Formats: sequence, structure tokens, C-alpha cells
Amino acid sequence: MGNLLALLQRFHVLLLFLVLQVFSLIVLFSENNFHRKEFIRHSSDFAGYIYEKRDEFTSYLRLAEINDQLAIENAALRSLLPENYISSDTATFKAQGVRQQYTYTPAKVVNATVSRKRNYLTLNKGYAEGIGIEMGVIANGSIVGIVSSVSKNYSIVMPVLHTKFQGSVKMKGTGEFGILEWPGGDPLFAFVKEIPKHVYINVGDTVITTGFSSHFPEGMLIGSVEALEDKPEENFHRIKVKLATDYRKVAWVQVVKNLQKMEIDSLQQQQIIADGGEE
Amino acid sequence: MMNYLRIFLFVLLQALVVSRIQLFDGLVLPFIYIFSLLMFPFDTPRWAMLLIGFFTGILMDLFTGPPGLHTSACLLLAFLQPLVQNMLAPREGYDSNLKPTIHKMGLAWYTTYAGILTFAHHTWLIFFEFLRWDKFFFQLFHILLSSIATLLLMILAQLLISPNKKSS
Repeated sequence: MGNLLALLQRFHVLLLFLVLQVFSLIVLFSENNFHRKEFIRHSSDFAGYIYEKRDEFTSYLRLAEINDQLAIENAALRSLLPENYISSDTATFKAQGVRQQYTYTPAKVVNATVSRKRNYLTLNKGYAEGIGIEMGVIANGSIVGIVSSVSKNYSIVMPVLHTKFQGSVKMKGTGEFGILEWPGGDPLFAFVKEIPKHVYINVGDTVITTGFSSHFPEGMLIGSVEALEDKPEENFHRIKVKLATDYRKVAWVQVVKNLQKMEIDSLQQQQIIADGGEE
Repeated sequence: MMNYLRIFLFVLLQALVVSRIQLFDGLVLPFIYIFSLLMFPFDTPRWAMLLIGFFTGILMDLFTGPPGLHTSACLLLAFLQPLVQNMLAPREGYDSNLKPTIHKMGLAWYTTYAGILTFAHHTWLIFFEFLRWDKFFFQLFHILLSSIATLLLMILAQLLISPNKKSS
């Protein structure tokens, strides 16, 4: 016992170091740890507040650029007004009998990183304004990411620029489905995988959302094909996509709420249970 | 007291200003906040240094990235700091009124001291953030250039904070 105490006495610094180090590495590497989630939830409220204060100053410097973005979006929205369209056949006009599936909540980006491997955006709205986990986030009609955690007044978005991000996408035109991933590195480009090699892809083709994932409406812009970087040993294309969203400049976003998500999810869950669970 | 206040100041500086600097698409990203740890006096007990590093890391993790990343790297820094100080100690040991600054210890001493610790911290941090070897040279450059940027900023910060105090 005396020996043990002497040993502790002698190595107490090393022991303290190891204990704290093991603790922080466990927190770092366990994705679904309760303490980790609590930490992120509380820290986003705290850091969000401070980031927002900073943003109140710096946004003045970018007003011209933000004005441009809003003006472009305004013009796009104005072109959708009913008086811009001539109804050729009143019988097919579907004002009644439509169900609204998506609603949009505008939010401001108060902090964004692009240079790390796991990047995040902080938005200035949280569950008090109806933002929830798993909602999609778009800017100017192109996708930004998915809400990964919310506090009362702030939310954290996992953007495409995150190595864990996966989105189902399709090629506009041919409608081939693929998976969008970001391997890290350049914030302007991501990759689409799982499209077989026999499908013909042009440089410049548009990549859009499928609407399968219930995060985003169908047909939201993702980007355009920059190059094909196929590897001979693989059966699928490796398509380099130039992202439509410039994460270094994104200032205002819209959070997409899918009003039918609950219904779709519970229906799918019922079916899985009816089939005797997932394979 | 100033030492503890400096931790808050530099963590804020890191989160609000320096992390926004993304030279060459993030290839150069200085972590200036460790400056406040390097400023702790020579006679700080090692266990206290570990706790200070631990809480500085947690504070930094509040602002950025996955929790635990900065905590882990700061712990390593706090563990190594006294060892590097001993390694670089003059033969008769440190005077009680000396501080690990350029003004007290000279530019050559400080560059070695801060250089070793900054490189260790950045290597640990960037390795655990990326955890892959396929972009080995990119990462190596990332670590080297970021360390140099941090070191330059730390030297600059000292020259700005207390100029012309070498005689005192």
C-alpha cells in the first residue's frame, strides 16, 4: 500500500495527464455519447450568442454583397408571381386541393467554417422559432446542409462540407441517382458516387436533389459537373461537382420544414415493422 | 490573474478573428490562442499547468469543431511545456523573476521554446482532426505552415504588447 502511494506520488503528473487525455479522446471519438451531445447543445447557445454579436459588426462590411444576393433572389421570386403566368386552361389550375408540403424559415448565418474536415454553420434561430433536427437548409435555391443540433435560439447545420454528410442526388435530365459526399479539402467541390460507368455524364451537367430524403424538396440545385475523375478499378463514376453554394460567402439561408415528414417516416416505419424489422 | 484573463482574451481572439483567416483555402490556419498557455511562469506546478491546459481546451472547444479536439491538444501542450522549459534551462536554473517571454529570455530562446511546443500542439490537433494518411504531404504542409504562422503571430503579439521593456 505504501509502495502504491509512493508510486502515485512519483507519477501523479503523468497519471493526471493520462486520465484527462483519455477522457477528452473518448469525448472526441464517441459520436453518440450523451455528454458530448449535451456539450454541443449548451456550447451552441453560448458560442452562438457571441458569434452573433461579432456578426452584427462584420455584416456591415458585407452589406453590398448581401444586397446583391437578396436582389437576385427577389428577382427570381418575383418571376414566380401568378401574374407572370397565363393560365391556358382554367380547369387545370390547381389552387384548391393542393397540400402544402414545405414551409421555409429565413435565418442568418452567424458563423461558418470551411477549412476543417468537419465544418459547421451556426444559424441565429433555434427551436423557439420552430427549427428542428434533420431539417434541410437552402440558400438561393441551392442546398446548404442539414440541421444537426438545435438550442433555444440557435442551431448548428452540418453542411455538405462535412465528411459525414451524405445526400441522395440525381442528374438533371437523365435522372440517374447518386450519393453526394465531400472528402475534405477544397470547399468548392464535392463528389457524386454510385452512378454506374455505363451512364454517360457530360461536363457541365446539373446535379439536383431527389426529394427522397425528405430534407429537401425535389429539384433543388446542388451544382454542376466539373470533371470525371474515374478510377479504372471501380465500376462507378467519381464525379467532381462544383457546388452551387459558396460556403465562404453564404449569409442568409432558409430552413426547410417538411410538413409531411412525420407522416412519411411513420408510414415507412410501419412497413419495416410489418416486414419483420430491418434486414 | 493577468495570466488567466489572457486565456479568455486569446480564446475570443482565436474564435472571432483568427479562425476567420483562411489563407490558401485553409492551408494556413494559425492557432494563436495557445500563446496564453506559453506565457505561464516557470514556477507553475505541473499538475496546475495540466488543469489550466484542460480548461483552456474546453473553452476553445465551446467555440469550434468537435468537442475534445482542442482539449486533447492543449493537454499535450501543458504536459510538454515544463519538460521543454527544463530542457532549455540555463545551467543555474531560472531566476524567480524570469518569465518565458522574448523580452526576458531573448528571441532565440523563445523561438526554440515556442517553436517546439507549437509544432507539437498543431501536429496533435491536425492529426486527430483528419485521421488519415492519404493526404500526407498536404497535412505536413498544413502543420508546418500553420505552426510558422502561429509562431510569427506570437512574436508579433509580444513586440506589440510590451515594446521597449527589455531593460526592466
